[in-house]
Amino acid sequence: MSDFRGKGLAALRAEIAALERGGRAACGVLPFGDPAVDAHLPGGGLPLGRWHEIVGEALEAETGAAAAAFAALVAAPLTAHGEAVWVFRRDDLFAPGLTGLGFPAERLIQVCARDEAEALSVMEDALSTVGVAAVIGEVETVDLIAGRRLQLAAETRGATAFVLNRRPFGGKATRPAGSSAATRWRIAPAPSEPSAGEFGLGAPRFRVELERCRGGRTGAFLFEAAGAYSWEKSDGAHPLRLVADLGDRQLAPTPSLAA
Amino acid sequence: MSLEAARLGLYPGQKATDAFARVPELATAEAEPEADAAALEALVDWSVRFSPAVAADPPDGLFLDITGVDHLWGGEAEMLADLQGRLRANGLSFRGAVADTPAAAWALARYGADGAIAPPGGQRELMGDLPPSALRLDLATAAQIERLGFRRLSQLFALPRAPFAKRFGQAALIRLDQALGRTREALTYRRPPTPYIERLTFAEPISAPEDLARVARDAAVKLCARLECEGKGGRRFELFFHRLDGRSPSVAAGLALPGRDAVRIARLLSPKLEGVDPGFGIEAVTLTAGEVEAVSGRQARLEGAARAAVEDGLSPLVDRLANRLGEDRIWRAAPVESHVPELSVGRALPLSPAAETRRWDPEAPRPLRLFRRPEPLEGVIALTPDDPPSQFRWRGRLHRIRRAEGPERIGEEWWKREIEAVGVDHVRDYYRVEDSEGARFWLFRAGLYKAGEPARWWLHGLFG
Repeated sequence: MSDFRGKGLAALRAEIAALERGGRAACGVLPFGDPAVDAHLPGGGLPLGRWHEIVGEALEAETGAAAAAFAALVAAPLTAHGEAVWVFRRDDLFAPGLTGLGFPAERLIQVCARDEAEALSVMEDALSTVGVAAVIGEVETVDLIAGRRLQLAAETRGATAFVLNRRPFGGKATRPAGSSAATRWRIAPAPSEPSAGEFGLGAPRFRVELERCRGGRTGAFLFEAAGAYSWEKSDGAHPLRLVADLGDRQLAPTPSLAA
Repeated sequence: MSLEAARLGLYPGQKATDAFARVPELATAEAEPEADAAALEALVDWSVRFSPAVAADPPDGLFLDITGVDHLWGGEAEMLADLQGRLRANGLSFRGAVADTPAAAWALARYGADGAIAPPGGQRELMGDLPPSALRLDLATAAQIERLGFRRLSQLFALPRAPFAKRFGQAALIRLDQALGRTREALTYRRPPTPYIERLTFAEPISAPEDLARVARDAAVKLCARLECEGKGGRRFELFFHRLDGRSPSVAAGLALPGRDAVRIARLLSPKLEGVDPGFGIEAVTLTAGEVEAVSGRQARLEGAARAAVEDGLSPLVDRLANRLGEDRIWRAAPVESHVPELSVGRALPLSPAAETRRWDPEAPRPLRLFRRPEPLEGVIALTPDDPPSQFRWRGRLHRIRRAEGPERIGEEWWKREIEAVGVDHVRDYYRVEDSEGARFWLFRAGLYKAGEPARWWLHGLFG
C-alpha cells in the first residue's frame, strides 16, 4: 500500500468516526495493554462513554459469576476516576470476592432494584451523574429503546456501562436481539493453570469471545486475572492478562453434560 | 367513663356490680387498652400543631413542651385556652395545667384546679395543697406516706432531705426534686424535638394537589432560609398536613448529606404528595428538619479539579434513589470483624467515608456470588475423612472436580453463645474447587467427620 493511499484511508476513517460520534467529543479508550487484544477494538482499547454487553453461557446465564468477575476486572481501572455503581435485582454479590479480584469494593455503591425497568432507569440515572465512572447492571435483556437510552446517558458524562445479561433462575433463555452496545462479550470460565510446583487452583482464567464490536473486529481470547487473591498491587497494568489469542475461529460448543 | 356517670357518683376502679347496683341502666363497654393507646398516639400526633416536642404519658396523659412557642398564641393562658377549646370541640374531656416542670404540670393537671397556670418558680405554692400521690409515687410509698400522716405536699416540702430519702427511698426524693425543678426529667418525645420547624397556616383550607405541591415548596423555602442563616443543613425533612378533622398525615424525605436546598427538598417530597389524603381540607402544614448539622458554604469548584465533589452529583443521586427505592435498597459494603463469611459484610450508608484501614483479606479467596442460604449438593463422591469431593451434582448437572484447594476450617462464633451450646456441629470445612470446564465453586462439608455417618455437603458460593 502506497503512503498516499494509507494517508487517504486514515483521513477517511477519521471522518467516519467523527460522523459516528455525531459531533460529540470522543470519550477515550481503556486499552487492555496487549496489542493482540487492542487491535480488535476501535481506537486501540475498550471505548469509554459507551455501554458494553456481557453475556454468559448455559448455567452462567443464571448465576452470572464469571461475567460479573470479568465486568469487575474490566471496570476496576475506571474506579480511579470516580465511583462505581452496581445495580441488580438479586442481592448475591459478595464484596470480599470483589476485593479478592482487585476491585476496590469501598468505591462501589450497590443498588437493589425491584424490577427490570427500575434497574434500567437506575442505570441511566447513575450514568448521567457527575462523579460516577462505571455502572454495572444485571438485567435480563436490553431492547433497542432501552439500549439507545443507555447510550445517550453514557454519552452525557463519559461514564461507561456494563450490562450483564442475567436471567432469573429457571427462566427462559432469550436470544439477545440486535442492540446498540459498543461491544458484546461472551464469557465462560476456563480451567486455571497453577504455576509449576504449586498445588491447588491457579489464577482465575476466562475464555472470552468478543462477539460484536462496533468499528472493530471480533475475536476470542483467553484471559487470566493475574493479580487476583494477593496483596500485591499491579503497577498500573490492566488486571486482565492475555494468555492466548484463540483467534477468530469458532470455539467448539461446550458438550452438554445434562443427564 | 362518661361525665354523666361521674355525676351519678360512679368512679373509675369501682366494681361493675357495685356500679350496676347504684345505676341499673348503666351501659358498660369492654376496656380496650390497645385502642386507648392508639387514640393517645393520634392525640399526640395532633398536638404537634402546638409544639414540636410532644411526649405521650400512658395511659391517659401527654406532655407538651411549650418552651419558646407560647408567644405564638399570645401567652400561656391563651395557648391553653386554644388547646382546651379545640379539644372540647372534638368532644374530649380533659384537664390541663402549665408549669415549669413536667412533674409539677402532671400534679396540677390531675389534682389541682383545671387550667391552672403556675407562674415561673411558683409551682411550690400551688402544689402545697395537693395530696402526696400527686408526686407519681409507686403505690407502696404513697400508702406509707399517707399512713405517716402526711396529707399535703407542703408537709413533705418542709421535711429535711436526708431522713426523707432514708424513709421513703431515693425514688421518692427524685420525684420531689423533679416537681420542684431541682432535677431534670427526661421525657420520651414522640419525635425528637427539633428547633427547626416552620409552619404555614391558610385562611381557607386547601386540598388541590397543586396547592399541596406549592405549600411544600413554600415551607421548604422558609425553613431553608433559616438553615442558611444559621449555617446548618438537615438530613431528614418531614412535612405534616394538619387536616380539619384533626388528623395529620405526613410525608418525609431523607438526604444522604445534610443540605438546605429548598428546590431539591421540594422535588424529593413532591412525588410522595400523591399519597396524601386531604380529607375535608388542610388548614396548616408544618415542615421539620431533623438531624441538623453544621454545613459550611461551599466555594464554587475550580476548573480542572481532579475529582468531582460529592455534592455535585453523587449525593443528589443517592437521595433520588433512596427516596424512590427505599433507603434499604442502596448501600455500600463495609467490612465487619467476623470470620464467618455471611457475617463479614455489613451495609454502610452509601456516602459514608470509606474505611481504608480495615479491608477484607484478599489472600483468603472468597466467592463473588454468595448464596443467602447454602444449597445442598447431591451425589457427592469424596474420600473420607477430609478430601475434597471428586464429583458432585448441582442443579441437575454433574460436575467433575479437576483441581481443589482446602480445607479452610471456619467455626461458628462460639463466644457469642452459651458455653454448653458450643459444639463441633457447626464447623464448616470449605474447599475451593474447579470443575473440568473451569467453573469455580466454594463448597463446604458441615460438621466433623464421624465414622458411619454420611457427610453433608453444601455449595455456598461461586467464584468468577
